[in-house]
Amino acid sequence: MKLTDQIWLSFHNLMLHKIRSVLTSLGIIFGVGSVIAMLAISEGAKIQAMEQIEAMGVDKIILSTKVPPATSKDVSDTSTSSLLDTYGLTEKDREHISRMDNVESICVARDGRKRIMHGMKRLGHKLVGVSLDFLDESRSVITQGRWLSAADGSNNVCVLGANARRSLFPLGQKDVVGATILIEDMAYKVIGVLENRYGTAFDGIGSPNDNIFISMKASDAILGKAAYDTSQRTIKIENVDYDTFIIKIRDISYIDHTSRRITSYMNKIHADTKDWNVLVPLDLLHQQEQTQNIFTVVMGSIAGISLLVGGIGIMNIMLANVYERRKEIGTRRALGAQKSDIIRQFLFETIFLTSIGGGLGVALGVGIAECVTILANWPVAFSTWFILLALLISAFTGIIFGTYPAWKAAQQNPIEVLRAE
Amino acid sequence: MPQEALHLENIRKTYVNGELQVPVLKGVDMHIDRGEFVCIMGSSGAGKSTMLNILGLLDKPTSGSYRLDGQDVAQLSDKDLTTLRNIRIGFVFQSFNLFPHLTVQENIEVPMLYSEVPRAKRHRISKMLAEKVKLSHRLDHRPTQLSGGECQRVAIARSLVNNPTFILADEPTGNLDEKTGTEILGVFHELHDVGTTIIMVTHNPGYEGICDRVIWLRNGRVWKIIDNIAGKTTEFETE
Repeated sequence: MKLTDQIWLSFHNLMLHKIRSVLTSLGIIFGVGSVIAMLAISEGAKIQAMEQIEAMGVDKIILSTKVPPATSKDVSDTSTSSLLDTYGLTEKDREHISRMDNVESICVARDGRKRIMHGMKRLGHKLVGVSLDFLDESRSVITQGRWLSAADGSNNVCVLGANARRSLFPLGQKDVVGATILIEDMAYKVIGVLENRYGTAFDGIGSPNDNIFISMKASDAILGKAAYDTSQRTIKIENVDYDTFIIKIRDISYIDHTSRRITSYMNKIHADTKDWNVLVPLDLLHQQEQTQNIFTVVMGSIAGISLLVGGIGIMNIMLANVYERRKEIGTRRALGAQKSDIIRQFLFETIFLTSIGGGLGVALGVGIAECVTILANWPVAFSTWFILLALLISAFTGIIFGTYPAWKAAQQNPIEVLRAE
Repeated sequence: MPQEALHLENIRKTYVNGELQVPVLKGVDMHIDRGEFVCIMGSSGAGKSTMLNILGLLDKPTSGSYRLDGQDVAQLSDKDLTTLRNIRIGFVFQSFNLFPHLTVQENIEVPMLYSEVPRAKRHRISKMLAEKVKLSHRLDHRPTQLSGGECQRVAIARSLVNNPTFILADEPTGNLDEKTGTEILGVFHELHDVGTTIIMVTHNPGYEGICDRVIWLRNGRVWKIIDNIAGKTTEFETE
C-alpha cells in the first residue's frame, strides 16, 4: 500500500473517533504539557540567574570587605577596639593588586554607612562612593540626567539608583535631576538617575538600583576614611578604605590563576582578620550551569515518567482497539493487506495520536507557563528546541508503544477473525 | 478445451489439537475451469469452511497440491499468498464485511489500495463496477444507509476490482431474505454470463439447480458431483 494512502487511512480512522482519540492521548497531552511548562519555567529562572551573574561580568573578580567575625577581644574589651574598627580592603591592597599581570583595572566602591532619611523614615539605601568607571563596570545605564564626572571634583552631587529614586521622590515627579536630598544633614544635588536592568548585586554594596552614588573624591573629602556608625547605641568608628573592588581581568583564560594570586595575597596581608571575600562570577556561572544540568536531568526523568505513563495508556487503548477491530483487520487481510500494511496502519494511528497529543501538550504547556508568568510573575522562556524535542519525543513514544499493538494486529489470523461474527 | 482456473489434487487438512489429530479434509480432488459457476455444498462438519479457507488462500493444506492458474500455491509464504488473494481472488462474505465508515466507492476501492492502483484509475474502475452492479446512484452513501442486498452488491463490485481469477462467495445470500437473495444470484448469473468464474460455498440444497456444477462434500471428501450442463450426477464412495 502506498505511504500516502496509508497515512490518509490512519488519519481517517482517528477522525472517526475524535473524542476517543483525544481522550486516548490525554496522558501524552498532560505529560508533554507539564514538561513544556516546567522547562519554560526552569529555562526562565536559568536565564535570569545567568543574566545576573553575567551582568557582574565574567571577566571580573569581585573582592569585597566583610565585617570580620567578632573575636573574644571584641566581646570582653569594650575600650579602644570597639570605638575604632579598622578592617577591610585598603589603598595598599588596591595598589598591589592593580600591579598584578593580568589585572587591567580596578573599579572601587565604598559604602558611606550613612543613614538616608526620607521624612522620619529610615530608608534601606546606601550612600556609596565609587570610582568613575563604576557605571560601565556594573553595566548600569543612566536613565535621567548624567553620571558623575571628574569635573564634579568633591562637590556634593549624587546619582540615584532607580529604587532609591522611587523611595525618595513620588512616582509622578519628573524634575528629579536638580533636586536636593539630605543625608545626615548634608545636602546633595541629584544629577542623574541610574538603572541596572540585570538586578545584579555586588558583594559589599548590594544592588546599584538601591544605592545613591557620589564620587570617590567626594566621599574621601566628606566622609573621610572613617565612618561613624550611629545605628548602634554606642558610637563606633569604622575605618574602611574600600568595600568593593571590581577587578577587571585582561585575559579571561587565566582568571583562575589571577584569583588564586589575589587570594594568596589577601591571605598573607589580612592574615589575622577574615575581613574579605573573593568572588569570581565566571565560577558562579559554571556552578549555576552545573546546577542547571542536574535540574535538567531531574526534569528529563519526570518527563520520561509522564511520557511512559501516557504511552502505556495509549498502548492499552490501542490493544483494546485491535481487539475491537479484528473483523476489519481480517477483512483487510483477506482483501490483500499484507501484515506490514496492518502494522503500518496501526503504528501510524498511534504515532498520530501521540503527535497530536504532543502538539496539544505543547499548547497546554505554553498556556500553563504563561499563566505562571501572569499569576506568579516568574520569568519563563521558550526555546524552539524543546518544543521540537517534545514533539519528536511524543512521536517516538508513539513508535515505542504503538509497535506491540500493531504487531498484535498483524498476527490476527484472518480465518479466526472472519469467523468471529 | 476451456482453460483451467484451479486444480486441487489429494488435498488433506488435519488440525492438530494437542495430542489429538483431527482430519478435516481427507484427500479432495477438484478442478474448476475458467468461466464456470460452481457451488460447493455440504452439511456442517463436511469440511466446507476448511475447503473455503484453502481455496481462498487463507489457510494452507497439510498435504496435496493446489494449482491456481497453473501455479502451485499450496505452500507459498504468507506474503505471496496475500498478494495472490489480492489480485486472483474476489471475496464475497456472508455478512458483507464492508467498512462502515467508508463510502460505497471507497469500499469498492479497498483491494486496489493494496495493489497500489493509481487514484485516477481506482476511481474509474470503481465507478465502472458500481454501474455494473447498478449502484451508480449510491457511490457517496455509506453501507449503513444501504439495504442488505445493496451491501452485497457493493461487496461483489469490490471483489471484481482487480479482475480476479475467480470470485469466492461464502454463503452470499445467507444474511438476506429470499427475494433479495434471488436478486444477488441474478447478479452472479449476469457476471457468469460475461465469463466470470464463480465459486459459491453454501449449505443451501435449494441452490443445486442454479449453477453449472455442484460439488458435494461429506466427511472431508468429495461425495457427489452434479453436472447441470451435461445433466449427469457422479457419486463417489465415502466411508
